[in-house]
Amino acid sequence: MSDGLFKEKVKNFFKILCQTEWNATVAGLIVALLSILIMAWWRPWGAVGAIRNWGEWLLYGVGIFDTKPTSIVVSSGSVIGIGFLAGAFISACLGNDFSFKFPPPWELVKAVIAGILMGVGSAFAGGCNVGGMYNAIGNLAANGFTMWLGLIIGVVLGLKYIYWEMEHITWGTAGGKNLDFPYGLKIVIGIVTFAILIWGAYYYSGQSDNYVNSLSGILLISAGLGYTMQRGRWCMVQAFREPHMTGDCTLAKSVALSILILAIGAAVLKYAVPQRGSAVAVQSILSDVIDELDPDEVDDEDLADTLEDVIDAADQAVIAARRTLDPVNYVRGTFGWGAVFGGFLFGLGAMFAGGCGSGTLWRVGEGQMKLWLVVPFFGISNAIMTKWFKAIHMEGVGPTHEGSKLGIHLYLPDALGYGGTIALVVIAMALWYIIVDWNEDSNKLIVEM
Amino acid sequence: MSDIKIAPEGLEVARTLDAKGLSCPMPLLRTKKEIEKINSGEILEVLGTDPGSRNDIPGWCARAGHEYLGEREDDGFIRFYVKKK
Repeated sequence: MSDGLFKEKVKNFFKILCQTEWNATVAGLIVALLSILIMAWWRPWGAVGAIRNWGEWLLYGVGIFDTKPTSIVVSSGSVIGIGFLAGAFISACLGNDFSFKFPPPWELVKAVIAGILMGVGSAFAGGCNVGGMYNAIGNLAANGFTMWLGLIIGVVLGLKYIYWEMEHITWGTAGGKNLDFPYGLKIVIGIVTFAILIWGAYYYSGQSDNYVNSLSGILLISAGLGYTMQRGRWCMVQAFREPHMTGDCTLAKSVALSILILAIGAAVLKYAVPQRGSAVAVQSILSDVIDELDPDEVDDEDLADTLEDVIDAADQAVIAARRTLDPVNYVRGTFGWGAVFGGFLFGLGAMFAGGCGSGTLWRVGEGQMKLWLVVPFFGISNAIMTKWFKAIHMEGVGPTHEGSKLGIHLYLPDALGYGGTIALVVIAMALWYIIVDWNEDSNKLIVEM
Repeated sequence: MSDIKIAPEGLEVARTLDAKGLSCPMPLLRTKKEIEKINSGEILEVLGTDPGSRNDIPGWCARAGHEYLGEREDDGFIRFYVKKK
């Protein structure tokens, strides 16, 4: 083995890890794996939770909201967003994709419209393309399918609009600028950001509060998602759009496969883990022990205190376990017109933006200023809509969204069983795969310019 | 994605499209529209900053039958070259 050869292999490894665009199928599988892992950690990821939290801060800052929102470093939604952005930024720096890309003025107008449509759409659908569709189907929630349908309609209409725009709008469509930096500097900044990320995870894990402590994993897994999606340019709106624009179905196939793997992973977690239920088991054993003890006979006060602490800890563990795996927490009451309409608005907005919820965030991480402008409008409109919907009980009340005006709260295994649900996801994704593949050769579904 | 294809120097360009600062899907759609304005065998030059174009433009060329000649890095943007079929 010569040193020259080894050096070349190291260089090759860096190139594949940090510079080459990852194959869409591989990126989709990694996204599915990380999505299952973050679910197992304790919650599925989403983009709108972060964007809404930041929007609430903006509204609080200008005095429109009077209650102080959760801190951006404590809200789990926001921490997901921060991790995701950091991951995408690291990837963009190491791969030399980062630069400040200033679009022509008309694109900025579109960014504002896009942000508002996406914010309002995700309020109706109960999430963006991630929480409302990808992770909703992944969490075996019926509302994911209705948003999926709405997204297709919105994206096709958005594509027709863009064709119209190219014929009729000439103002402000040229003159974009790019502000680039030396590649060496980007590599250094990328490595520094990585170091800060690791420090952040250690900082969280050093905190005594259970919840804050758990944010360490949330931060790191989200960063992995951001890194993977930027490196693979894995974009869900592209999966919906491309079959109708160029016929290319690479990403649509990859998203279909990714959703299938995620749904199987989620079914395993949701079905099997509560069966083993370690936290529940710990609590019941401890409760039995405590019941058998006569507190009057325990003269050691410290022992009693300790036992009480143990019970508290076990109770907390049970709450955390339920929060992780209880399907009720991630199914929205929008299976019906809410998710279709919301998906439609969101798809339309994503076409204006050139990125969905997750795609917007990773493009922010590579310096696309248009998407930087989408985020605040997305956040503000979603925060306002969500607050209003809560006030009028639009999505019903309680964890099962009793009396939702947007649709039904349906956890698919309740209706079809776990086997039936997986069969449904398999059939839906296989159909999607076959249709886009057929369209790639037949071009039947292409919207002509 | 395979390695980046570098275009030969000194290509004679019939038309140039400025897609700098535009993000997905605009650079590709503008390219699709712009190529209608040149004759078969002529070359369209696209100036872009979206890293996604590195995949989108060659992919579309293969699909639509145009010849993708490659790219050349310029100061803060990339020049893509497409020869119309």
